Amino acid sequence: MSQHVLDQFMFVALPYVCLFTFFLMTIYRYRMQSFSYSSLSSQFLENKHHFWAVVPFHYGILVVTAGHFVAFLIPRTLLAWNSHPLRLYVLEITALAFGLLTFIGLTGVIVRRLSSSKVRIVTSPTDWILFAMLLIQTGSGISNALVYPWGSSWFATSMAPYLWSILKLSPDVTFVTAMPWMIKLHVVLAFLTIGFFPFTRLVHVLVIPNPYLWRKPQVVRWYGRK
Amino acid sequence: MSSRQSSRHLLRLQPLCLTLLALCLALLDWLPLGSGTASAQDTPDFFRQYCVSCHTIGGGRLTGPDLKNVLQRQKREWLANFMMDPRGVIDSGDPYALKIFEEARKVPMPNLTGMTRDRVEKLLDLIEAESKLEKSQFKGLQISNKPFTDEDRSQGRELFLGHRRLKKGGTACISCHSVQGLPALGGGRLGPDLTKVYERLKGRKSLSAWLVAPGTETMQPIFKTHPLEPDEIHTLVAFFEAHASEQPASPAVNRVTFLLLGLVLSCTLIFVFDSLWKQRFTGVRRALVEQYTAKKPNSPQEH
Repeated sequence: MSQHVLDQFMFVALPYVCLFTFFLMTIYRYRMQSFSYSSLSSQFLENKHHFWAVVPFHYGILVVTAGHFVAFLIPRTLLAWNSHPLRLYVLEITALAFGLLTFIGLTGVIVRRLSSSKVRIVTSPTDWILFAMLLIQTGSGISNALVYPWGSSWFATSMAPYLWSILKLSPDVTFVTAMPWMIKLHVVLAFLTIGFFPFTRLVHVLVIPNPYLWRKPQVVRWYGRK
Repeated sequence: MSSRQSSRHLLRLQPLCLTLLALCLALLDWLPLGSGTASAQDTPDFFRQYCVSCHTIGGGRLTGPDLKNVLQRQKREWLANFMMDPRGVIDSGDPYALKIFEEARKVPMPNLTGMTRDRVEKLLDLIEAESKLEKSQFKGLQISNKPFTDEDRSQGRELFLGHRRLKKGGTACISCHSVQGLPALGGGRLGPDLTKVYERLKGRKSLSAWLVAPGTETMQPIFKTHPLEPDEIHTLVAFFEAHASEQPASPAVNRVTFLLLGLVLSCTLIFVFDSLWKQRFTGVRRALVEQYTAKKPNSPQEH
């Protein structure tokens, strides 16, 4: 397969397949299995390490994902912010810190699920695939931030136009084909995660009440047999 | 989860995998792979867009060789193959490709999107026709000969850092490039360090021509629609010329500092989370018990 065909597959065909799957299956699952829209909390089974894994992971990934959306939606404003090196450095260090929080938290989540037999039992193969994807995704994101700074600026310049071209149904892969393989891996895995989203516990982000981000902590326990 | 449950779980995904595979194949079928016939009219535009940053026809060498009479120096078939996949020919160890790669100071010609056989033939026809003219329209650009001033260098630095916006909306150089003497964490590293770019591209003329239409695959799509203005090129070249005698900054120091700052902030955030929710278990349970005992004075005390 030539490089041109491979690029067309990875950055045109795959994104549309993943986005199509995301919208179709998310709606289908909500209509057919509404009660499966849950993160299936395992806090009751093990709560010693739970906090140290889940809290950094969630706050980390929420901020990092929001940052990607901002760069996608308002790239010009972001570039204006970055036009002073100090502001650029503050933004990049903050983004890296939240990326590291995600990685630390996610590693904690995986170690906890491997080390606690009770939690391991309720972990499905889909969960393991998702954890592996997220771990590679977070690792490649941090590597990109370190090896190819400044991501916030080149994302706004190159990735935002590419993503908009996908949304406008006139894909322009020239923005992405010349990127280093680690950045390409990050892009491809992002689309794969979007496509895999409706089949995983990630669906809980669509139904979770917003005040969960700042409410007081509460102890969760299962009601009924498991 | 038992192995039976696991296999049942995976089986449920099977129809989905098959559907996805079918969709991928269908989409691949719709893609315009290698299509597109080049018209004779748009060939000069294509040359202007993608080739003039590195080549002239009769105006002397820039980054790439002067293409005047190139068909007398090399066979048409070889040139066509090289234009369609320059990296592939260089990587194959072809002696002529390696020679021009060395002469271009190891700046490889990029693989251009849309460089079909039809397009290549039309480009070669254009080069052949332009070579016969006394003065080709691609002889070269009118580069400013004004001497550089301190103000030019200062404005070039402001453009590089992004303090001064590029008029057509292009991205500031610092996003992807570094240069010696930048503050704190330095510039970007997606592209090469530009401290020695003035020297690397052999001076004012070549560097200015490069900046008129940057030829790398990463820069091309950005600056195709947001080209630099002549006065911006003048000041940027002045800035790069001033740095030509310096040594490039070490990226390792900046990377380690950046990582350490990120780690410090992430550890601080973990401490903040812990102090915010340090009573997460005792606090919740105690409150529930207190609430229960307040309602029922005779109920048992918390253990």
